[in-house]
Amino acid sequence: MAITFQPSAYSGLVDHDNGMVSREIFVNSDIYAEEQERIFTRAWLFVGHESQIAKPGDFFVSSMGEESVILCRDRQGEIHVFLNSCMHRGMKVCRYDEGNTPIFTCPYHGWSFATDGALVGVPFYKDAYHEELDKSQWGLIRVPRMTNYKGGIWATWDENAPDFLEYIGGFRTYLDILFDGWDGAEGGTEVIGGIEKWLVPSNWKFPAENFIGDRYHNISHRSVDLVGIGPSGQGRRDTRERDGARALDISFPERGHGTIVFLRPADAQPVPSYQNDPVIADYFYQSEIARKERQGQLWRIMGGPGTIFPNMSYLPRQPRSIAVWHPRGPDQTEVWRWFLVDKSAPPEVKEFLRQYYIRYSGPSGLTEQDDMENWNYAHAASRGAMARRHHYNYQMGMGYAVTDFEDGGLSIPGTVLDVTKARAGEQNQRGFYSRWADFMAARDWDELAGWRNNGNGSAC
Amino acid sequence: MADIVNLFEVEPGQTVRLHGDATAEVVSNPRDGVWLFVRYLTSPDDPDQVGTEDMVFAQDVLELVTD
Amino acid sequence: MVVANDPLAMLLLKQDVETFLYHEANLLDDRRYEEWLALLTDDVRYWVPMRRNVKFGELEREFTREGQDINWFDEGKDTLTRRVNQILTGVHWAEEPLSRISHLVTNVEIVDATPSASNAEGVALRCRFIIYRNRVATETDILVGRREDTLRREDGGWRIAQRQVFLDQNVLLAKNLTFFF
Ligand code: FES
Ligand SMILES: [Fe+2]
Repeated sequence: MAITFQPSAYSGLVDHDNGMVSREIFVNSDIYAEEQERIFTRAWLFVGHESQIAKPGDFFVSSMGEESVILCRDRQGEIHVFLNSCMHRGMKVCRYDEGNTPIFTCPYHGWSFATDGALVGVPFYKDAYHEELDKSQWGLIRVPRMTNYKGGIWATWDENAPDFLEYIGGFRTYLDILFDGWDGAEGGTEVIGGIEKWLVPSNWKFPAENFIGDRYHNISHRSVDLVGIGPSGQGRRDTRERDGARALDISFPERGHGTIVFLRPADAQPVPSYQNDPVIADYFYQSEIARKERQGQLWRIMGGPGTIFPNMSYLPRQPRSIAVWHPRGPDQTEVWRWFLVDKSAPPEVKEFLRQYYIRYSGPSGLTEQDDMENWNYAHAASRGAMARRHHYNYQMGMGYAVTDFEDGGLSIPGTVLDVTKARAGEQNQRGFYSRWADFMAARDWDELAGWRNNGNGSAC
Repeated sequence: MADIVNLFEVEPGQTVRLHGDATAEVVSNPRDGVWLFVRYLTSPDDPDQVGTEDMVFAQDVLELVTD
Repeated sequence: MVVANDPLAMLLLKQDVETFLYHEANLLDDRRYEEWLALLTDDVRYWVPMRRNVKFGELEREFTREGQDINWFDEGKDTLTRRVNQILTGVHWAEEPLSRISHLVTNVEIVDATPSASNAEGVALRCRFIIYRNRVATETDILVGRREDTLRREDGGWRIAQRQVFLDQNVLLAKNLTFFF
């Protein structure tokens, strides 16, 4: 669709300086339609994991924003992402979730595409097209930019977008905790079979802002904390390893990403955890020792929930997983959930984590069931003509963040709000929404890559 | 004309008779029910095709030649 | 269906099993969760796979695998008990206020009876279910599928030793699975 609005029309919706955000951006269908154009065709989006397409011909049908895409490994082993819409007259070419195939054949008139996207089969090519159709022009639409970062496959529709590493900038330190092995081995993770997919009746930004780090909502999880499902049977996570750690909320407002972490003291040593089973306890203990050796000071950072703008969220440690919040209209989100384990972990460890992931996460998870209740009804109660005249309040911790946080010789990338005493803050949400406003206002990536002009460089 | 052929039942190595009365050996079956990869054995309309490989469309596969 | 060399015994067994299944469904719908838990054997296995769209001829990959993949549920009595306890905290917001649920259990078939129908200590059965859930004001879910249960006689009554639930959905259309199948 054509972009019709004036950027100024959006500037009042996110009031970063006063920590307020208009409810319109969650419930208004015109704004939702503009988001598809301005955010989801320009940002880097998470598509899948290379372990899902290990062999030539393997494919996994994913989604970028509202649109279906095919993630596929071709006969030569190259990875591609294609729009899942036939170039002839639009039919959804692949209606399977995953599999292995030599070609993708459109059910409508039979056009057939190779695993590298090339149009290879056209019925009646000689007799009806008189061999005049230029097949090279009608292959599947390929994303112009794609990257495989430590096994995670990301793509963007905007050929002018910065490289993925520039897009995440200094946030890389935190994203690495998700994709590296527990012992710090580069990209040492793989996906467990079975991707959870379900519908939540709320705007996609509710879960994105929740996962960016919302320590304030712990009270929502009172019930699971009371019954205990953590890896050692108590609480909802194991938290002993956090003893003595500082609690930091970290935002990259110029990029929109954010996370919460725990920072161990400078003299901390690995402590045994998950102690119900000796094999499992030993695996994690040895992995922590190895990571500390490999990473030195960086080992002190224990990752927590985070969001890569716009709609990829993750939990890097407990329960290690990725969530993508696919927009499905202003009032609906289709959630996809991938679960990661260390490739090299013994079977006992993988099994132990699998069971924990299931009881924690998604529609059957004792923890996340209560999250979805909040997103559902926060949305529902914000739709009314009266409700939407009022802004949400994100004022917690305003004015207390620093950009040069340092502790015991380790400097922490990002804008850091130390919430060790406060226990919660909302700077990550403020950062997310100010980036949202940038995306809605900017004409192109020259405007969106503001960090290039403010001297922060790509390392920020 | 014979009953239409269900391409899922065609195996590599078998011979099919095609539109234009050509015959071809099945090289591989992508198992999409719509296409076959073949090598031409005979081609009255276009003798140059003999020996070449191509994809053939289900509606151009007239019958499975059983001998 | 087992070959019934004793049709009358089969009929009585089916009646007996159906009575048990309806009683069990009533306990859930009446929110008598702890009494429902008591109907599960201590070693119960409760498995609800996810379901993929796969190509013709590849149906063996349709369901996620028990004990290997991520499933909607793949657990035993300990986790099921925690689920019940969570509802009973009064602050499990996804079930507070509580759902209104009706389990309709139908198409019951006895697949196996051991050692025999007239003297069954174990029964494998298959049935269909419709779960209607209504909650808060207008939240409504209808979940339909097949169930395969293994029952075992313990302390003079039937207990559920295994439940396998095959939901007729791909993307789950419900926001949560806070109830029991
Ligand atoms: S729409 Fe795909 S072949 Fe016509
Ligand atoms: Fe939460």
